[in-house]
Amino acid sequence: MAILELRHVSKFFGGLAANSDVSFALEEGMIKGLIGPNGAGKTTLFNCITGYYPTSRGEIFFKGNPITGLQPDRVCRLGMVRTWQKVRPLVKMSVLDNVMVGALCRTNSLSAAREIAMEQLRVVGLDPKSGFIAEGLPIGERKKLEMARVLATKPELLLLDEVMGGLNPAESEEIIQLILDIKQRGITQMVIEHDMKAIMRISDRIVVLNSGEKLAEGTPAEIVSNQEVVDAYLGESHA
Amino acid sequence: MDSASMQPVLLFLQSLISGILVGGVYALIGIGLTIIFGVMRIINFAHGDIMMIGMYLTFNLFNLFGIDPFASVLICIPLMFLFGGLLQKLFVNRVLNALPQNQILLTIGLGLIMSNTVMLIYTSDYKILTTSYSSGSFKFMGISISEPLAISFIITAVITGLLYWFLMKTDMGQAIRATAQDRQAAQLMGIDVRRMSIISFGLGAALAGTAGALISPTYYIFPQIGSTFTLKAFVITVLGGMGSVIGATLGGILIGIAESLGAVYISSGWKEVLVYMIFLLVLLFKPSGLLGKSRV
Amino acid sequence: MSMISEALVILRSIKPAGLLVFLAVLISLAAFPLVVESPYAHHIMILIFLSVIMGQSWNILGGYTGQYSVGHAAYFGTGAYTTMMLMQYQQVPPWFGMFAGAATAIAMALIIGSICFRLRGPYFVLASIAAAEILRLSALNTKELTNGAEGILATDIPPLKIGSLVVTDFLTKVPFYYTALVFALLIIAVTCIVQHSKLGFYFQAIREDQDAAHSLGINLNLHKNLSLAISAAFTSLAGSFYAVYIGFIDPTTVLSMDMSVQIVLICIIGGIGTIMGPVVGSLVLVPLSEALRSNLITQGLISAGLVSEESPVGAFLKENLAHAHVLIYGILVVVVILYMPEGVLGFVRNMVRARERSNS
Repeated sequence: MAILELRHVSKFFGGLAANSDVSFALEEGMIKGLIGPNGAGKTTLFNCITGYYPTSRGEIFFKGNPITGLQPDRVCRLGMVRTWQKVRPLVKMSVLDNVMVGALCRTNSLSAAREIAMEQLRVVGLDPKSGFIAEGLPIGERKKLEMARVLATKPELLLLDEVMGGLNPAESEEIIQLILDIKQRGITQMVIEHDMKAIMRISDRIVVLNSGEKLAEGTPAEIVSNQEVVDAYLGESHA
Repeated sequence: MDSASMQPVLLFLQSLISGILVGGVYALIGIGLTIIFGVMRIINFAHGDIMMIGMYLTFNLFNLFGIDPFASVLICIPLMFLFGGLLQKLFVNRVLNALPQNQILLTIGLGLIMSNTVMLIYTSDYKILTTSYSSGSFKFMGISISEPLAISFIITAVITGLLYWFLMKTDMGQAIRATAQDRQAAQLMGIDVRRMSIISFGLGAALAGTAGALISPTYYIFPQIGSTFTLKAFVITVLGGMGSVIGATLGGILIGIAESLGAVYISSGWKEVLVYMIFLLVLLFKPSGLLGKSRV
Repeated sequence: MSMISEALVILRSIKPAGLLVFLAVLISLAAFPLVVESPYAHHIMILIFLSVIMGQSWNILGGYTGQYSVGHAAYFGTGAYTTMMLMQYQQVPPWFGMFAGAATAIAMALIIGSICFRLRGPYFVLASIAAAEILRLSALNTKELTNGAEGILATDIPPLKIGSLVVTDFLTKVPFYYTALVFALLIIAVTCIVQHSKLGFYFQAIREDQDAAHSLGINLNLHKNLSLAISAAFTSLAGSFYAVYIGFIDPTTVLSMDMSVQIVLICIIGGIGTIMGPVVGSLVLVPLSEALRSNLITQGLISAGLVSEESPVGAFLKENLAHAHVLIYGILVVVVILYMPEGVLGFVRNMVRARERSNS
């Protein structure tokens, strides 16, 4: 069964369509890449799925139930959580506290939350810095903090918005390994990424957005050989 | 004139016109606040207190040198401009990148210092500036119009006209507008953003001070008068859309009319409640202001 | 069970030395009225407690949850008016009336919150001011209910009895002293509990980043309103206490924007989002403004020989400085914002740290 299904989702801002008539489904346990030129409407789609924007048209189903119109906190409690393209650490709180906020989604006990949080910090390799104030972390560790924080909410579906953006190759590789590990744990993921090599490597299937519309969908091999997709990207690089 | 004995149409027109006349001065206060907000993204909570300083300045010029309050505008404008520029340079400039709440608190603090220093010097007694025309009025097509309000409206109109000309036609005015539109882009274009900030705060203070001078013949003068006008200025600028000069002009007149009609048809006690109700409704449903385009 | 284990964790984290200091402070505060008899000293202490209650209540909403309400006079005034009206017009004793006041303030908070919490940043601040102003103007204009601008004067407080035993008749300041002390300790305890609970984590997450908090499963509306409700309830208790203690209220004192600003400043000057902040703020503000009000500063200047009593400056200060005690609030807030953005508490902490570093 599809864990997430989008049916004819559209989002208009004024008269402009940021997403129009996007439909696709996400199978449980797989990694789905979401790619497209700048301004293709990838982040807007994430915002619609997680409840930050009300969709203008269409429906979204999570684990078979409609979630259209639900607020982000409800969506998170149902088991779907997103990261932010521009990381949003809770800057005045410690690294551990940041992750505990995520963990408290599933428990009311601080000590239980602390345990979950420490565990996730170990997963991303940030446990030696648990006592640091989040403000002081460099970008690579901020990205990891964000991953630990969403993992602590015990999600079934993760939406990752450019978690490799701004990282050096070594850091990107760590994140790639992390994403593959998460897959091993049975968590479904949808990944927005600009690094084509990375996305081709990790994705089971890829959806291509262009000007808010779904241009293509398929395995990485199919996408690479799709002339329309190549044109869309060439158009971008020539512009 | 006894308003109860007036014909309904005349009463309506009468309160409409006095609303517009008062609204002109409100517009000056609102324009000042909106320019400051536009250029620096700072909500100046000391705005009404700056206006209050203008009132006391006028009061002193009148009492010590016998200068007519309307003539004192000519002295008020440059002095208040300097005062505002100084405030910007010494205090406000240092919190331009701080949290909005800290900016708000700083200007609240500056306002408290102003009102309490004035109270220290002049006590909190109500002062009245009585001119020969303070309570004068003339009749125009059966409608009685207050003389000081009419004169102040004319002066307001002239100043607003000059301000538009300055903002639209002069290089500096264009630089200010560019800064308000996009501070970073303006900086890249070689505009001295710091200087524009000082000038706009000076301009805002000069406008508020002028408004203070203009209302001093018709209002009680006391150190705490500022906060009422600060709040009024917020209502006006939000109504017109934060940062919009045209919006603030219309917003000021609109609030003048709402108050005047509210006083006649509801009660003078509840007229301000009406103003704040409008304010909350606009904030909730049209946060970009009545003229602005809604965002979503 | 989890509550108990949490409590144990908190207790274990308390250091013995800190506990000793805390107990010593507590005992000396409890013994203070027995040792010091001066009613003026009692009065100053009561004002400090009152200020702690006000500042700490605001701290929960402004300091921890990051919602800068500049309209807390609404809740202070609601408490003051409910208690006073019940006492004067319905003969309800204030120790019952204040709970009615707190309940009314919570109801008011939910209404105001449902409007203001749709807005963020400066717009929230403006809306909170407007809401409080609407309340002030309403109190001014409903003369038959609130006695309008003339305010309400308390004639006398009924004695507090348990059965036939008279606990106190409120003739001295001592019963007020203990009441204020208990309220102040209560709100400090509540803040401690909130800080060390899920609620506190959620409040702070909202303060740091509303959208991020929302995405992590935090119901923004629910938690902002909870924070406001706690804050409003205690602010209204402060208002009720003020009304009964001072014995007179009117809209321009208890419902004014000046009152709202004063509540914020206690916290800002001490240091926001910390338990000790409002305490430090009160310890700085109350004595300073009282010294100005009672002309202690002018007398100090004169007796120190800095200003001659006969000189025009001396005469002027003696005449006017007492009226300008709010001036000190203005100067302090400007100094704090410019030079100690973390408040007096943070400033002192940083100084100590810097000294330790230079010593080691």
